[in-house]
Amino acid sequence: MRWRDWAVTAGLLLLGYGVCSALLPFDQSGGFAAMIFVLMVVLIARLTEGYACGVAASFVGVICVNYVFTYPYWQLDFTISGYPLTFLSMLSVSLIVSALTSQIKHQEQLRAETDREAMRANLLRAVSHDLRTPLTSIVGSASAILENDALLTPQQKTALLRSVRDEAQWLIRMVENLLSITRMGDGDAHIHKELEAAEEVLASVAAKFQKRFGGVRLVLTAPQEPLFVPMDAILVEQVLLNLLENAAYHGKSTCIRLSAERREGDAVFTIRDNGCGIAPELLPNLFSPSRQGQTHTSDGRRNMGIGLSVCSSIVRAHGGALAAANAREGGAVFYFTLPTDQPSTEEPAL
Amino acid sequence: MKIKDKILIVEDEANISGFIAAILAANGYDTMTAGTGSEAISMITSHCPDLILLDLGLPDMDGGGILQFVREWSTCPIIVVSARNHERDKVEALDAGADDYIVKPFGTSELLARIRTAIRHTRTHLPNGEIAQSGQFRARGLAIDYDKHQVLVDGVNVHLTQNEYKLVSLLGKYAGRVLTYDFIIRQLWGPKAKNDNQILRVNMANIRRKIEKNPAQPEYIFTEIGVGYRMIDPD
Repeated sequence: MRWRDWAVTAGLLLLGYGVCSALLPFDQSGGFAAMIFVLMVVLIARLTEGYACGVAASFVGVICVNYVFTYPYWQLDFTISGYPLTFLSMLSVSLIVSALTSQIKHQEQLRAETDREAMRANLLRAVSHDLRTPLTSIVGSASAILENDALLTPQQKTALLRSVRDEAQWLIRMVENLLSITRMGDGDAHIHKELEAAEEVLASVAAKFQKRFGGVRLVLTAPQEPLFVPMDAILVEQVLLNLLENAAYHGKSTCIRLSAERREGDAVFTIRDNGCGIAPELLPNLFSPSRQGQTHTSDGRRNMGIGLSVCSSIVRAHGGALAAANAREGGAVFYFTLPTDQPSTEEPAL
Repeated sequence: MKIKDKILIVEDEANISGFIAAILAANGYDTMTAGTGSEAISMITSHCPDLILLDLGLPDMDGGGILQFVREWSTCPIIVVSARNHERDKVEALDAGADDYIVKPFGTSELLARIRTAIRHTRTHLPNGEIAQSGQFRARGLAIDYDKHQVLVDGVNVHLTQNEYKLVSLLGKYAGRVLTYDFIIRQLWGPKAKNDNQILRVNMANIRRKIEKNPAQPEYIFTEIGVGYRMIDPD
């Protein structure tokens, strides 16, 4: 950064010098020189970080104007009338511009940080709310069995135990989502991508999904040719798993089609279900975390919000896009793209 | 009376070791539990268990230390149980000599299946006794003929290339176990081979298209993403 700043400073000063030299034959008075150097000082102060470059540039500018472009040429003459004024105005211009620039940069940083903080706080609030309900149910069911062992029929006990297991499984899914967020780090640029075969990701997700939703039919379509996509596989699995579980849980689908294919330079993953679709009023803000707390779905606690906003940030962090729609023949379609870094026309380099 | 296999559970959370011990006892295993690394080491040396379930996060020492300690003198199967779900942790544990790796939270059937596989591997003596006897590996429709260097699916030769055959036959020898990318590369191309698993992955993608009906729903060779491959157990 330092080097770039000084290079910019030197470059702009040379440019100023060049322009002045070129103009000198047309206007012997050299009155324009001070103006041009002031312009350069403003540019330097704006384009560099901190005050050092701007201040240095105003010194060089003043000396340059005095030495080269004012009569007597090629002599320093501090007795010229108005000289201190030129010097002072250049210096103050540079200081003011540098100060403004740093302030703006600082404010941008602050705003980004506030945004991130707000997102985290929202998420945390939604999560703690979402954690409390299943925990209550687990504690309740378990105590019911422990304290009323003699009174409960075996069927009742089984039902209670089943709810304990289901709630705990839901908590696991929640925690996986939170882990994904920590895995992504602060910004969007911290994911670690490796080339992965699309079909391996599909197979792995399918196995995990079928463990929980054995009753849902899953139809998988692998790309014709091996398709290698740079990605953080754990995160992309998380996206697919969230979308599949939403389809099964919220869409009440009985059959889900999951496919991956190459389209131009992208890999496209599609999840098509035969469930009840997405309420049209939800579609516009489906992926924003701010949707938390709105309980349009039949049971508000398990709203899709956290899962979907996590999905969307993961896909964006990969440089892709996630979209959703209702299929004409019924059911919802989610699809997302991941760039493959390979030109579309080229045969896969295998 | 049938002598039961003895399993040592090394786990610092009493709740978890309690429920694992209950499941194992119900399925015909003898169980012992150790809550700390030092306790585990003294129990391993005095009792010589048939299998060790090892949690990596222990209060007094890292589970990896125990893994190394045991591997210096014993081939006793070790299944690492851990809440760390990072591929790197899995690869490290497997390369340090663990036989398998299971991530918390896990299902009981999954745990039992992994234990059976790991114990069977020590019984049949490495790598796979069945292959040594008949020269064949069979799992459902898949057959690897080690004498003729062929792989057959439902009785039909699938014509693998040299490298593809080497890869499938290696996985067959260690069927049921996850082989890490590094391990496979060293076995196939020697210790000096470039540590780049891309060639391996491309080979595997091609194999899958030859032997699996649906490459996205494999029946025979499974991928542990970021870790390696696993062949299904033989019949």
